[in-house]
Amino acid sequence: MAARRLLTSRTLIGLPGGLPGLLPGLYPGLLGLQVSRNVGHWNKDWKPKPYPVTPEERAEAARKYGLRPDEYEPYADDGMGYGDYPNLPVVSAESRDPYEDWDYPEHRRNFGEPVHVDFDMYGLDRINASQKMRFSMQQYALSFFGVMAVSIGIYYYLEDKKMHWPVLPKQYPGDGAVHYTFEPAE
Amino acid sequence: MGHVYSQYLGDPAVTPDHTKGPTFDPLYGYPGGRKERVMIATLEEMESAQLPLNKRDYCAHLAIDHRACRQRVWPLTYKCAHEKHTYLNCEYADYVLRLKEHERERRLLERAKRKAERAARAAH
Repeated sequence: MAARRLLTSRTLIGLPGGLPGLLPGLYPGLLGLQVSRNVGHWNKDWKPKPYPVTPEERAEAARKYGLRPDEYEPYADDGMGYGDYPNLPVVSAESRDPYEDWDYPEHRRNFGEPVHVDFDMYGLDRINASQKMRFSMQQYALSFFGVMAVSIGIYYYLEDKKMHWPVLPKQYPGDGAVHYTFEPAE
Repeated sequence: MGHVYSQYLGDPAVTPDHTKGPTFDPLYGYPGGRKERVMIATLEEMESAQLPLNKRDYCAHLAIDHRACRQRVWPLTYKCAHEKHTYLNCEYADYVLRLKEHERERRLLERAKRKAERAARAAH
């Protein structure tokens, strides 16, 4: 599971940050200290079990994920679910308290806390889906489309209005065309 | 800049269209006539020299001379300075002629506007 994935990540090994993930085959691997070569390492034992049907299965699944049975709710088993993985409320990392003493400050998460199934989307560097925005969605949409409409309008208005030097087109000797200089004819 | 301002924001009626040729009669105002431009390089010469189409203007004979000189002396291209300067001076004179044509067109447009205003005042 994602929780177990984090426990075996580079943060627990205590080696310089990123070393096992970025430099495969260096001394951590040779000394046998390396548990995973990159943060995305997957283990077949971490795959969620099938959807729990009986109350005993539900209790066992809740305990496995660190939840109470009354707050454990898996995704609906309609073919688009995740087995017995819990359906947790979305709380993005950015909307969590930045001054709390987290065990994993870069994820704003504590040890053993259940991890959302889309955890990699709700990190500090990605989507903040749980915080109240400063302006309404209508204001955001109006600003964006307003700026785009003005830009596109200016572009098409100026499309045939170009800068040029004060000259008429170049004179090429063509079939039958007669061009004159500004000197008087002799 | 002033011509661009007057074309788009000022008075488009007295600003010549830089994409088209002169709209007035070229000999209007020249009772003695104007000297015609003479094309010296022939079509056969230009085709033989494989001159690009945008260089087949009234300075083409000098362009051909310059290119021939370069072909003779390359890579010592500094030796073609005389031919290069003759050609570029011809191109400059051609550009000055385009400027004069534009100015003539602008003055004739202003004159036409004044005549129209005088006719409109005379009609009242």
